[in-house]
Amino acid sequence: MVEDALAKGLIAVGAGLAVGLAGIGAGLGESGIGAAAVGATAEDRGFFGLGILFTVIPETIVIFGLVIAFILMFAF
Amino acid sequence: MIYRGNRAAWAYIVARTKVMKSRLMKAEDFRKLLNMEFDEIVRYIGETEYKKEIDELGYKFTGPRLLDHALYANLARTYRKLIEVSFGASKFLITRYLEKWDVWNIINIIRGKMANVQPEVIEDVLVPAGERDLEFWKSLIVRDIEEIVKSFEGTPYYEPLSKVGSEDISKIEDELYKVYYRELLKLNPTDFAMKLFLDFIKMEIDIRNVKTLLRLKAEDATVEEIISCTIPGGYELTEEEIRKLAAMPIDEMIKSLEGYWFWDDVQIKGKSVATAEIEFDKVWINTISKRASNYPLSILPVLQYAVLKKVEVDNLRVLGWGKYYGLPNEEIERQMVIL
Repeated sequence: MVEDALAKGLIAVGAGLAVGLAGIGAGLGESGIGAAAVGATAEDRGFFGLGILFTVIPETIVIFGLVIAFILMFAF
Repeated sequence: MIYRGNRAAWAYIVARTKVMKSRLMKAEDFRKLLNMEFDEIVRYIGETEYKKEIDELGYKFTGPRLLDHALYANLARTYRKLIEVSFGASKFLITRYLEKWDVWNIINIIRGKMANVQPEVIEDVLVPAGERDLEFWKSLIVRDIEEIVKSFEGTPYYEPLSKVGSEDISKIEDELYKVYYRELLKLNPTDFAMKLFLDFIKMEIDIRNVKTLLRLKAEDATVEEIISCTIPGGYELTEEEIRKLAAMPIDEMIKSLEGYWFWDDVQIKGKSVATAEIEFDKVWINTISKRASNYPLSILPVLQYAVLKKVEVDNLRVLGWGKYYGLPNEEIERQMVIL
């Protein structure tokens, strides 16, 4: 019973780490891209769409983290 | 190493200047302009980035003087914009680099005052691109030379300026540029961004010095005269090296230049000094481009833009005056830095 609860707790911690660390990584990646996108858009509004697109590319990493979290939470 | 320091801050200013750089005129634009008449050139330029200045100054000036004033006004506006949109380390470095224009303004004001030129005419040649704004320079124009010199008391420029009246103005100009570079080289290369900046400055000094060396050698100047006109602190051309090169006959000196970074297969044999200088300008621009690509998140792409903008303005001036005086296209093209 105690072991079961411990396992569930560790899984929850693992899921949290998967999403949290992926989020931090994506944030670090997006900071540079976002700044460049804002810079380019400030000069030429035509870069707005492309800037947003490039800025969200690192966000895919968070989706991977989220998938891992779901697998941990529901597959075990 | 591609990146060190505050990545987001560099990304912002670099992306912004890259967009600004994309608006600069290309080689094919210059070739197109070469086939136009003077009035067509002014009209063409008036539809580009220079529209605001051409429109504003169009009622005041005509002919190549309109072109000159509009181009310099645009250059000043562009440089001030670079300072305004940057922040942190990039703002500091851009401001320090553009202080070069303060020297330009000081010299133009003093020259103008010595020749009793009208204040409005002096004002028109000013490029308030540095930290000091147009109001500051305007306030200097109305004062007399002693007061102008006094207003720089406490700055590094005071010492050479205090010789105004007792020494030749071109010597004072050389001294002021020496002070400008000396002050820049005093910066401590504490981080990678600063190191890249200082290397850029040292390389710029080398290019200035090699051009001075060629020009003075062609005029049979003595070693001491050459040394007094060159700027200490170069990347490879140290004072000792310059002294060694200056003592050689010109052909031997040109051969000895082959080992330096700025040689890069430059063909200057049989060419005039002015054409040789343009060859070195081309090498300089190519070198900055390569270095800016190697270090994309640094001050180098911003400095590259500042240099290219000045080259564009110079090219348009050469083109305008050349066309106005009916020079042949080949001659005008030879005087332009087209890559």
